[in-house]
Amino acid sequence: MSLASPRTISIPVPGSTLLEVEHLTVTFPTSAGPVDVVKDASFRVESGDTLGIVGESGSGKSMTSLAIMGLLPRGGTATGSIRLNGHELLGRTDREMRRVRGDKVAMVFQDPLSSLNPYYTVGLQIEEAYRAHNGGSRRNARTVTIEALERVRIADAARRVDHYPHQFSGGMRQRIMIAMALCLEPDLLIADEPTTALDVTVQAQILDLLAELQRETGTGMIFITHDLAVVSQVAQDVLVMKDGAQVESGTAEEIFSNPRAAYTRALLDALPRIDDPFDELKGAAR
Amino acid sequence: MTLTILRRVLAAVGVLLLISLFTFLIFFWLSPDPAVQICGKTCTPERIDQIRTQLGLNLPFWEQYWQFLSGIFTGRTYGEGAAAIDCAAPCLGFSFQTNESVTDMIVARMPVSVTLAIGAALLWLLAGIGGGLLSAVKQGTGWDRGVMMTALAGISLPNYFVALLLQYLLVVQLRWLPFPQSVTFAEDPLLWFQSYLMPWLVLAFGYAAMYSRIVRTNVIDTLGQNFMRTARAKGLDGPIVLRRHALRPSLTPVVTLFGMDFAGLLGGALITETVFGLNGVGKLTADSIAKNDQPVIMGVTLLAAALVVVANMLVDVAYTYLDPRVRVKSA
Repeated sequence: MSLASPRTISIPVPGSTLLEVEHLTVTFPTSAGPVDVVKDASFRVESGDTLGIVGESGSGKSMTSLAIMGLLPRGGTATGSIRLNGHELLGRTDREMRRVRGDKVAMVFQDPLSSLNPYYTVGLQIEEAYRAHNGGSRRNARTVTIEALERVRIADAARRVDHYPHQFSGGMRQRIMIAMALCLEPDLLIADEPTTALDVTVQAQILDLLAELQRETGTGMIFITHDLAVVSQVAQDVLVMKDGAQVESGTAEEIFSNPRAAYTRALLDALPRIDDPFDELKGAAR
Repeated sequence: MTLTILRRVLAAVGVLLLISLFTFLIFFWLSPDPAVQICGKTCTPERIDQIRTQLGLNLPFWEQYWQFLSGIFTGRTYGEGAAAIDCAAPCLGFSFQTNESVTDMIVARMPVSVTLAIGAALLWLLAGIGGGLLSAVKQGTGWDRGVMMTALAGISLPNYFVALLLQYLLVVQLRWLPFPQSVTFAEDPLLWFQSYLMPWLVLAFGYAAMYSRIVRTNVIDTLGQNFMRTARAKGLDGPIVLRRHALRPSLTPVVTLFGMDFAGLLGGALITETVFGLNGVGKLTADSIAKNDQPVIMGVTLLAAALVVVANMLVDVAYTYLDPRVRVKSA
């Protein structure tokens, strides 16, 4: 995508396994003994595909993604296996994981305002991500940064690069987060509730943008959300989680047309439908 | 930007006027008649009247206040004819107990207080920020507990106690330092340093204790921020994450605190100066209160207030440079 980037672009072969997670268990010590916040999760992400992980708050979906990044909060331990392009990630030192973070696996977080440092320009924050892995001059990093901002459709990127996070709207900030995540062309992008903090129209724009960028770069994606409607738009495969356990997994079509688990059915039932004649709050009736 | 600064300056001037008015009011109403005090024991009503006229105490409140205010800018003359006393601008009043202008008295004591404040400030910033950072980064370890225990001691032990303890230990018992003496740097640099070392340490201890606790809280708070997670998710080096992303948000609030504390110290460290016999503005304050030398008390009160107001203003201006959210309005 960029002349300034010395990296060769290798679009992964579609259909080959990018990420393979097997028997992932994440444990935290508590005063009442260890607690498993993720229990025996197994799933895979194919190159260029999107896996949607769905679940309510506390279902362990975010902990799953942090385990992949090697960024579990203090005290958390992950067991099982996480393989990226066939290479095991679990058990690596922080120094080794640092090379994976950002470069191979990048992440977009829920609240773009608090996820950006208010004291630095957005340009600097993207530049430092690029330079952490590619080194090179600031000037080169700046060129890459402006290109990345243009790719996420930020108008007047050459000027906006020197602005601070608070000078952007919520949707724009999330575009900046996406630019930051994609400037290194990671193999896998983990989007953790990337549209939850945004209003519906902006949400649609961000989803479109993500889909478009994914087509361009062939990045595999894990899309974490509590919103089934969103998942149905973006994901080929879906994993439903509840209380740290994997409730159901399969292709999006299977899950939406023929949910097997009672919990999935309950989630689906909770969605408002335009063709539903009886417009009553379903949860409230029970 | 310029407009913001201008507004700040105007506000500061307003606050200073109010402070001067209140200070003046307090001394006008509440304190015993200065004329009687000056007159002494063998006093006649005529003599008191004479002094009152000389000091302008026979005038109505507003006129006295006006004389005081204008004296600051243009200077004033007490009395008339041969007995007249000139008080050059900026005249903060005239002490008839020492026969000196308050301004001269303060200016003469200022260097000691400034020296004390600067030395102590350097020490406490170093110790406070260093200790706070160490404690936050090593949260829950022995380092953390050690720093916080020391800080607790620094906060709870009174200044004069630490001062006496230190004097006893370093001067009397261990004989590492000579008895503090009032020498200037030019006279004897080593003795000057040795004399100031204990006051610096004593003052810095209390402030460093407070600062280390605040810095620790700020850093821990910042470390839990989402943008720290973002920084690590980018694959940044641990130390860079700390240095670049945690330090600035953690230390910016300290600037506010420092401005106030430093300005407060320039207005005199009452206890420390008294305990160590340093002839600074703080000692002057203590002495004038003991002698009820009103013009001096009023002068140092105004000075202290002015310093804090000015520091506050400077901090506000500094903030516009330190925090982009204050500097640039959202687009």
